Amino acid sequence: MERYDSIWDMYKKKGISRRSFIKTCTAMTALLGLAPTMLPDVVKAAEKRLPVVIWLHGHECTGCSEAFLRSGAPLTSDVILNMIALEYDDTLSAASGEPFENHLQEIMKIYKGQYILAVEGAAPPDPKGGFCMVGGRPFVEEVKEAAAGAAAIIAYGTCATWGGIQAARPNPTQAVSLNEIVGNKPIVNVPGCPPIPEVMTGVIAHYAMFGNLPPLDNKNCPKQFFGNRIHDTCYRRPFFDAGMYANDFNDAGARAGWCLYKLGCRGPETYASCGNMRWWNGLSYPIQSGHGCIGCTSKNFWDNDPFYTRLPEVAGLGLGNIDKIGAVATGALAVGITAHLATSAVQKRKRDQKELEDKKKTAEELDRISRRKD
Amino acid sequence: MTVRENQFVETSIPNGKEAHLTRFYIFSPFLRIFHWLMVISIIILFSTGIVVMTPMSMGEGQYVILNEWHLSVDWIRNLHFLAGFILSAAFLFRIYGYIINKGDRLLPNFFQMKFWDDLVEVMMHYCLLKYSHKQFLRNPMARMSYIAIYGLIVVEILTGFAMYFQVNPNGIGGSIFGWLVVPYGEMFLHVVHHIVAWCIFLFAAIHVYMVVRADFMEREGEISSMISGTKVLAHLPDDINDIRDKNGKIIKG
Repeated sequence: MERYDSIWDMYKKKGISRRSFIKTCTAMTALLGLAPTMLPDVVKAAEKRLPVVIWLHGHECTGCSEAFLRSGAPLTSDVILNMIALEYDDTLSAASGEPFENHLQEIMKIYKGQYILAVEGAAPPDPKGGFCMVGGRPFVEEVKEAAAGAAAIIAYGTCATWGGIQAARPNPTQAVSLNEIVGNKPIVNVPGCPPIPEVMTGVIAHYAMFGNLPPLDNKNCPKQFFGNRIHDTCYRRPFFDAGMYANDFNDAGARAGWCLYKLGCRGPETYASCGNMRWWNGLSYPIQSGHGCIGCTSKNFWDNDPFYTRLPEVAGLGLGNIDKIGAVATGALAVGITAHLATSAVQKRKRDQKELEDKKKTAEELDRISRRKD
Repeated sequence: MTVRENQFVETSIPNGKEAHLTRFYIFSPFLRIFHWLMVISIIILFSTGIVVMTPMSMGEGQYVILNEWHLSVDWIRNLHFLAGFILSAAFLFRIYGYIINKGDRLLPNFFQMKFWDDLVEVMMHYCLLKYSHKQFLRNPMARMSYIAIYGLIVVEILTGFAMYFQVNPNGIGGSIFGWLVVPYGEMFLHVVHHIVAWCIFLFAAIHVYMVVRADFMEREGEISSMISGTKVLAHLPDDINDIRDKNGKIIKG
């Protein structure tokens, strides 16, 4: 297969005109949601060399890759064949085995300090633990080595970003997120289980186009995709405000498409584009299909169980959520106060009686003394 | 103003005891107004908070009365936010009162051994192991619990505003309080907000009980002190030095 240095290079080699190239750039500008005035930047970016990408897989289910493959705009095939030079990806590549691992070492040497590292999955931090071995090596060592020479790192999915299901209670492998393993490097967090396909391709397309990371929020997530709560962008929000809820997955409210808040929807705490971009080219998203959000872009979302009650249960007590525990504590307090009040009333009466007796005794004593004087 | 002999109110108590009662001015209007604003706003905040977490469903086949009352969750949330803003503003005035008035500053004297000894004494009294304790303007246990309640309210204000302003994480409010969302995620803030709300509720229940109990057991005007700002005491209280001004004088009510 012919290799291209840039998108413009590909157009030239294929004999496509400059005019078509500019047209494509205009379309790309629109797809990335940029202002028309940004067109010259997009053209400039498309003339640049394709960025080299290394994609590693750790402690995970590869669901993020599955999502990535289903991106519609930009198309995944466009991204991996025309926008980036994907040099290593254990699941998407045709090659495998030792030659492929050697290729990874080679690429890391040649493009040191220039390549983008995309990581899926958490990492067990103990290299001697025997968990998550890639090509006979602990994943944690591989990712540290790759991160050392990377220009930028993209953490794809909740596992790479926050640890995900591997780091959920009881976390037998002590798995941690990429952020805890790699320091001193700019990391873009793209959480989600999996993230929306267009978000995954959008982030890497942004880097491919402009050569820098998209603007990030305080959790290092791209602002344009994680800037709003699902609850604040949800089309069922008016039902929430009006107080119209599905109380059960089988009731009239659920059939009518009312708010799923009481069925444990995590939309009010979850930052993602599900509400406005939706999934599969705007087809649907979990809430639209009648299931509450489980908050898959949030930190520790697996531990906020159960997913079907509004408040998570307090772990380890088996007493239910904090409101239930509070009600029980109030009952216990009422009993305690009554007991304390009764006891102190008895004590006060005893004290008063004793004081009175003491007074009487002293009066009698004084009386006796005065009589004796007589 | 010093307390003069002729300003003492002489009262005879029915069962023949006699006592000299003096009225001491302790709490400034800042504290008293804050206290009652806090009472109102905490009642509103707690009840609306419980409803927001477990709302009643309206609509066809649901609660008919609610449909007529138009108690939408939107409305109840706005009430919660309004009460939250009132509480926060009142808290700022409370801080101002703390600065200008000594009687509003009856906090624990952590660095005096005597404070800890008195604390043990008062705790023994409330554990019903001791008939009485020394007279205080505010006893050491109350001092500890009031600093705790202010701490709890600060936690509620911080977590509440953090969740409130995250509607727009890039706004001013989001940039002031948004850092709270980062370490454990936003669901954690909801959980903390609830735990602390229940702590405040339980505190309020104990507080009301203790005040009523003290009023009946000691008869020092405990309840009315939060309206008049003064307490009527039979003896010079043990911690009277905490409200002397710089000339060593005590303000009499």
